[in-house]
Amino acid sequence: MTIPSDPKQVKQICFDRINIPNVNTLSVAREHGAYEFLPTVLKEFDSARIIDEVKTSGVRGRGGAGFPTGLKWSFVPRNTGKPTYLLCNADEGEPGTFKDRDIMRFDPHLLIEGMIMAGFALGVHDAYIYIRGEFLHEANVMNDAIAEAYAANLLGDNILGSGYSMNLTVHRGAGAYVCGEETALIESLEGKPGRPRFKPPFPAVEGFYGCPTVVNNVETLATVPAILKFGGDWHASIGIPNNTGCKIFSVSGHVNKPGNYEVPMGTSLKTLIEEYCGGLQHGSVPKVVIPGGSSTPWLLAEHYDTPLTYDDMVKAGSMLGSGAIIVMDETADVVALSRRLAHFYAHESCGQCTPCREGTGWLERIMVRVENGQGTEDDIQVLKEAATHMAGRTICALADGAAAPILSMLEHFPEEVRARLVEKAA
Amino acid sequence: MTSLFINEQEVEVTPGTSILEACREHGVDVPYFCYHPELSVAANCRMCLVEVEGWNKPAASCCTPVSEGMKVKTATESLEKDRQMVMEYLLIHHPLDCPVCDQGGDCKLQDYAVEHGTSKGRYAEPKRAVINYDLGPFVNTCMTRCIHCTRCVRFADEVAGTGDIGVLNRSDHMTITGIVEEALESELSGNLPDVCPVGALLDKPSHDVSRPWEMTRHHSTCTQCPNGCDIQIESRGDEVMRIQPVENSPEPWICDRGRYVYDAFRSDHRILSPKVRSGDELVSVDWGDAFARTTELLKDKRVGILFSPDWSVEGQTAIRLMRDTLFPDAKVAYDLHRRDMRVFAFEEGFSMTTAQIADADQVVVLGSDLRQRLPLLMQRLRKRGRAGKPVSRIGAMNYRTNMEISNDAIIRPRDWAAVIARAMEQVRDLGKTAAGFENWLKAVPGRHEAGKVLADALMSDSCALLVGEEIRSHEDAAALINGLDLLMRACGHAEAENDGRNLMPEGMNTQVLAAIFGDVRASAGELFAAASAGELDALILVGSDPVGDGLFPTAAKAALASVPLVQIGAISGQISEYASVQLPAAAYSEIEGAFVNMEGRIRVASNPIKSLGQERPLWKVMMRMIQVMGGEVPVVNLTELRDMTRQRMPALAAAWDASEKDSVLIAPARNKGVELVPAKATDKFELDVVSRYSFYREGMWARASDLLSEAGSIHAMDDVLVHPDTLTALGLSAGEHTVRTFLGESAYYIGVREDVSPGVLFVAKRGVGGDLSDVSAASIIGGAQ
Repeated sequence: MTIPSDPKQVKQICFDRINIPNVNTLSVAREHGAYEFLPTVLKEFDSARIIDEVKTSGVRGRGGAGFPTGLKWSFVPRNTGKPTYLLCNADEGEPGTFKDRDIMRFDPHLLIEGMIMAGFALGVHDAYIYIRGEFLHEANVMNDAIAEAYAANLLGDNILGSGYSMNLTVHRGAGAYVCGEETALIESLEGKPGRPRFKPPFPAVEGFYGCPTVVNNVETLATVPAILKFGGDWHASIGIPNNTGCKIFSVSGHVNKPGNYEVPMGTSLKTLIEEYCGGLQHGSVPKVVIPGGSSTPWLLAEHYDTPLTYDDMVKAGSMLGSGAIIVMDETADVVALSRRLAHFYAHESCGQCTPCREGTGWLERIMVRVENGQGTEDDIQVLKEAATHMAGRTICALADGAAAPILSMLEHFPEEVRARLVEKAA
Repeated sequence: MTSLFINEQEVEVTPGTSILEACREHGVDVPYFCYHPELSVAANCRMCLVEVEGWNKPAASCCTPVSEGMKVKTATESLEKDRQMVMEYLLIHHPLDCPVCDQGGDCKLQDYAVEHGTSKGRYAEPKRAVINYDLGPFVNTCMTRCIHCTRCVRFADEVAGTGDIGVLNRSDHMTITGIVEEALESELSGNLPDVCPVGALLDKPSHDVSRPWEMTRHHSTCTQCPNGCDIQIESRGDEVMRIQPVENSPEPWICDRGRYVYDAFRSDHRILSPKVRSGDELVSVDWGDAFARTTELLKDKRVGILFSPDWSVEGQTAIRLMRDTLFPDAKVAYDLHRRDMRVFAFEEGFSMTTAQIADADQVVVLGSDLRQRLPLLMQRLRKRGRAGKPVSRIGAMNYRTNMEISNDAIIRPRDWAAVIARAMEQVRDLGKTAAGFENWLKAVPGRHEAGKVLADALMSDSCALLVGEEIRSHEDAAALINGLDLLMRACGHAEAENDGRNLMPEGMNTQVLAAIFGDVRASAGELFAAASAGELDALILVGSDPVGDGLFPTAAKAALASVPLVQIGAISGQISEYASVQLPAAAYSEIEGAFVNMEGRIRVASNPIKSLGQERPLWKVMMRMIQVMGGEVPVVNLTELRDMTRQRMPALAAAWDASEKDSVLIAPARNKGVELVPAKATDKFELDVVSRYSFYREGMWARASDLLSEAGSIHAMDDVLVHPDTLTALGLSAGEHTVRTFLGESAYYIGVREDVSPGVLFVAKRGVGGDLSDVSAASIIGGAQ
């Protein structure tokens, strides 16, 4: 590992080894520090200490919700007489997100090491990686790395002679966006259709097959080895308070150099785009930025200087989400953008809850008409009401995600929408 | 208790209750579609949203547990808008065909559309249409109307246990559909239309014939099995249109047998006028002529009286009064399935309620096809199984239960004594014993491993023993039941507060019958034998069909070849070809009267449906009969008859007069001092014969119903079944074979099925089985030509 022990010097954590050729193989990974600290953790750390370090580190869930990971782990009841499960959420379905994919295909051992440490802390003996179905290559890389880890006694029975055993299995999803929601993921892993469960009970108490379960994002788990090696305080000193550590941002859209960039939390949106992504393709400020994956409300040019933290994004009226930043410059057609997103959500709604099942399709159909210049003034009112009464009224947050682009469009670009209505077009 | 505020009103509920349930308990109206008190929570309709103070979004009240001090609001402007939008979402694809939908007038969607919806929908895009699917003879589907609440899916999974309804696809392509392309494999399928809040699943037999507001509702009791469910008979004029369960009764569901038997009320099988035989035909005559013929056949003769247990309590008393006045020496029989008339240590009837059975630590089913016999008790056991509580079973066949049985053993009926003996030894070794153990054990030479299943269950604190037809109709039943009684006493399951002894009766009113007729009771077989032997001059049959049902069809035919038959009842049945006279008596839908079920619950039917023909309540027919035959009429009205019944049975009077419904249950009879031990087996035939009880075909009412008969043909099995090893041992394979019994030899088509115990001949289709119904043992002697 080349991560500096001085937190002020830290630029990246999960992507530390990403550019090393063949680091996906165990031998190369080990040359660069993989599993170096694992024996110490297994020998000298206990569950309480690990959970404490993770709590101290302030790391928050990197999948989208930003829930403090240490706290999540501390909710898992002990001595229930049931097994505890660790599930790695590698479904990465949120449009615009492609960060976990790079961790898995380039540095799979980082994830495996993180999972062993997390599993050890939680008393888990069977862990699963629920990987997006389309990630065939990534699944193969993961499986090869897991096979190597088993052969090196890093997985399986009595890991490195520590007395701790854990199995790790990769399960490929079947292409449903909603299976990235943790309870839908659990349902799917149980072999059922992926439909989110209502809460309570929460997965920490009743999850996979009714047993205590922790579901963590790939990036979250990949952060764990560094936290344990350098300590929770070290991690807590990176970024800004309550928004600690580094975060990978998947930047796409109208920038010159789209891609994954890991930066310390608190870096501003403008810095990321200008300094890392080579700036916008047209103009000097973006028209729309979707900061945390397609489900998050839109930001505008006025938010260009917002620091990339969970809290600042909420203050700006959106969410950091999964860190998928979709940038639209002045050439973007916001109506077409909304229509495309509406199509996605209408296609991906699991169909359980009335507002989402019926509402997402309705929104899409109206958006198609509006885009084609067949919309009316009444449609604007219907779009607004149908979207508003979906959000927050359903079991999971898919409906919120479906409503966000429509409401953002109506709020920020009413004139562009009106210009497309039938009276104007004619 | 948790206290919370609902609309500023402080209320207390049990911790863990959902907000919706708390609201229901306290009469606060919250609309919902997908919630159902008997099913798991799905939380998908989103109609039941409420606001909780301090929460940033509305909560679905059905899946949100209450917490201390929670402040809930169920009616705010914002919630009203949310409900209005949910209605608008639901009506996007729902067709506006209420005028031609059976559900119209009795539809949640319609009601809520009026209450919470707007007058105009704003959806202007193409609508969805959905392909229907087949759900068997009782359920009609119109899936375009479906609102995807998944109640039917949960019903099939959780209550019926069949799991054959599921959800396909997602988003607004989501459809509810049958998983297999065939009829629903459930005896509870008729509940699906009730469970469906809209018109997607409809009652097929009553499809397109009437509207809910045309119906008159008559509260009654179903007599199609000993469970005696509360039912609501819905009629238009005097025509029964359908039968429904009654809300807040002990069972929320009713079975298909009880529900669809109603077409028998109007079938050609009804006896609607007095008839006398003239040559090959029964000819309608007036009451006077029919009674004249009756008097001629019966007056001062030696008669045997056979009747159905399903008449009302008043009817039963009237039969007894008729017997005492006119034929004081006559024996009576009311059970077509009991061979052994010796005293049972615990007589027919349940000492536990079905709710107590569902809650017991252990439940053991001995020799019963519970799903066919008592589908609603089976449903309770299924629910119990889902909650992780054990259900054990020993029997001659792996009867389909649609649940996972925790401990299962398949045995031959001749092994019952060895099973009980094995259990006795096990509990004795653990220090639990009763006075008669040693004698009983001494009388039984063998031990059967299946006894472990029984003994293991008996070691719990509470154990419900459900003793079924395989033991009750056993030739040595009294000894076996004595053995079980000893076991239950030894293990502490026979005390008044913890009595786990339940013997499944054949029909209704079993506790009443034992009390009223205990002293003059004989087995049906004995009556037929006496008639055949010339000891009787005539038989009186009041509403049962010993040719179509029971264990004595051959004996009945032989008896009726030598003596005349006076048949009184509501349905003709197969026995009618032997009747010299038929007197019509009213059906259970047409009378005022009381009924007692297997648990000892009393139910009083008070607003009967008008009679169809000349039939009269049974008690009136009995009194008239006494009068025309010169006896002194003991009672002249229903009140006097009821007083007479009270005198004869004080326990019934107590239950009858109880101020609160079901607070007094009538206990089944217990007989002390029974010291019977099993008789030595005589192994004349290699195979034990077990007859299937078919839910759709057993009983004269069911056979008179075209609806049930059609369903019965869908669910029929091969005629006679044996375990494949049984045939292999004889060097035979499935096919037509000769079977020898004490009645002689005849040929049957014998199929094989792994579910049947080796050494058992299973008569799957009665009637086809013919003479096999009479026997308890048989031998297969090879291929017939």
